[in-house]
Amino acid sequence: MRLARLGALAAFVLGGLALMLISAPAHAVPPFARQTGLACEACHTVPPELTPFGRRFKLNGYTLTTRPPLVSDTDDHKKNTLWLSDLPGLGVLFQATYNHYDRTPPDSAVPGAKSQSENLEFPQQFSLIAAGAISDHVGGFLQMTYDQPSGTFGVDNTEIRYVDHTQNNDWVWGVLFNNNPGNQDVWNSVAAYPTLDFSNQSLWSAGGAGGAGLSSPFFEGLGGLTAGPTAYIWYKDSFYLGISAYHAAVSGSVTSTLDSTNLNVGGGALQGWAPYWRAAYERDWGYNSASIGVSGMNSRFTPSLIAGQTLDPGYVNRYLDISYDWQYQYIGQHNIFSFLGRYTHENAEYDPGLVGTFYSNSSNHLDQWNLTGTYFYNRHYGALVNFVRTTGTADVALNGGNGSPGSQYEVLELDYLPWLNFRFILQYNIYNVVKNNQNPFILLGATNPRASNNNTFDIGLWMDF
Amino acid sequence: MRRLAVVTLLIAAAIALASAAVRDAKAAAVVVPPDPSGLDTMQLVSNACSKCHGFNGVSTSPIFPILAGQVPGYIESELKLFRQRGRSDPHARAFMWGIARALTDEQIKGVARYFSSQPAVKGTGSSNPALADKGKLLYENGAPERDIEACTVCHGHSGEGVNTQPRIAGQHRDYVAMEMVQFRSGLRENKVMQHVSEKLTDDEIAALVEYISTL
Repeated sequence: MRLARLGALAAFVLGGLALMLISAPAHAVPPFARQTGLACEACHTVPPELTPFGRRFKLNGYTLTTRPPLVSDTDDHKKNTLWLSDLPGLGVLFQATYNHYDRTPPDSAVPGAKSQSENLEFPQQFSLIAAGAISDHVGGFLQMTYDQPSGTFGVDNTEIRYVDHTQNNDWVWGVLFNNNPGNQDVWNSVAAYPTLDFSNQSLWSAGGAGGAGLSSPFFEGLGGLTAGPTAYIWYKDSFYLGISAYHAAVSGSVTSTLDSTNLNVGGGALQGWAPYWRAAYERDWGYNSASIGVSGMNSRFTPSLIAGQTLDPGYVNRYLDISYDWQYQYIGQHNIFSFLGRYTHENAEYDPGLVGTFYSNSSNHLDQWNLTGTYFYNRHYGALVNFVRTTGTADVALNGGNGSPGSQYEVLELDYLPWLNFRFILQYNIYNVVKNNQNPFILLGATNPRASNNNTFDIGLWMDF
Repeated sequence: MRRLAVVTLLIAAAIALASAAVRDAKAAAVVVPPDPSGLDTMQLVSNACSKCHGFNGVSTSPIFPILAGQVPGYIESELKLFRQRGRSDPHARAFMWGIARALTDEQIKGVARYFSSQPAVKGTGSSNPALADKGKLLYENGAPERDIEACTVCHGHSGEGVNTQPRIAGQHRDYVAMEMVQFRSGLRENKVMQHVSEKLTDDEIAALVEYISTL
């Protein structure tokens, strides 16, 4: 039982660290606008959701620019060897929230005492971003983020890509390197690129649970723990195929090579190279854009379940995640609708040495539905509904209680954007099911705890400039 | 190790597949090259214009006008207006002010020539013949009693455009409607079109749009 609890705590740590290291994507950035002279609406319905043009901008490596170079050089063949803009592609992203729990959470240390029922995060997230064209073929997106729940400032989403294309644009191909599997994608229906700006999981870390109370597929939590190359092709603005390989690259590593110390820093580490793949088809007509896609990752992962564990022989769990996603956008003159969704199935096989202590079963599966609908009028007023339901194999050692990994929550949101780079959000988060041993209200000893105790009302601000 | 080899092979195969299929690759998504005169028309069209207007000038979304077969003088004059920020309707500001801000006169001429030489497209046709007939009357005769000139004077009998006045035949129906409303409200500046459209009712604009969609 004690070991099971340790496993749960390790899961907390892993979830918390993943959240700490990689925040919500922030690809709606002013450096791109400064570089191209285009307004936000060229690339975004409402940030961060991309329009068809925004997808092409990203797939072409962020290299479209209308600024004359301050410094340029060519070789004897008139080939461009240096291209530097007169304006560095810098930007700031700032996000703040005030949230109120439906039920006052218990104090985290003093039995019977209560904490405050409100939580103010100013900022919740503060990012410095350098993004845009590096040469006529290379672009990048580099983000440093301060995250209040973790109190740290560190490397966030990072990507550099090389791109080329045929003159008629029928074929676009590229190679990129990034640190968050899936974040290279251009459809907002994939896991690493959610349409929600205000992650409700951040409230969980504020409540002490590090986000682990909501089950999620394994490969969605690898941001900041991995890095790797991707090669992709984009054909006739319709077909996309990308193949990646990710290796452990733990932020905050304290030794030059991966060892047991780093395992504890990152909550665990990938073993070897994990392939990630992505295929998608998009069709645009009139004001409409629709896409379907599939993505997947096959990972071997050594968790830091035991302090001082060594990698050799090491314990290795195997995860196979496959996600099917779809997206429909109507981008009209005044009205904008989006319906995004994905279904993910995961098979997890655990190292025999860990079964019986940290896991009850030798293998588990997890299924998750994530559905989002948004509406915006004139890009000023909007509403969003998000539904997430997770089910899977009951595993008492892993999940405690009755062993169910199930969770379910909804997000209801109203938006007001006086300017496209300035967004006020009213949000209500409704929790129907929480993994019962990881509900903060259970962990902190509240009487008669329920999932709905975690319901929160948020007032949020998002802006970038 | 075996897994790494498989992954490496997959990535190499993807790159090889792409490379094999793209021997005519022309690079650079820059609108302004290191040498400003070095970016030719086709590079401009490929890197910038085609992303919204289509490589052949036939756009998908009605937010962006169809440019195939457009009168070259009209494309030229509008691009120069965008460059000097002399046209300030919302989409001009959002998209074209940036795209056109550093174009040279030569580049503007080249882009205009390219799109005007692309095959024009036909209108989608009308599903309301009665309304289209009403629009046709107004299009061809105007309303002299209200000082509204016939559209044919500037746009031609078949909507093909005259001199530097634009072709409207084959244009997205919604785009035509949006521009008419913006002329009428003054959101898009154009003295002639503002003079004409400010006297038109919503029904008359709908009738004109219906007829133009048959051209």
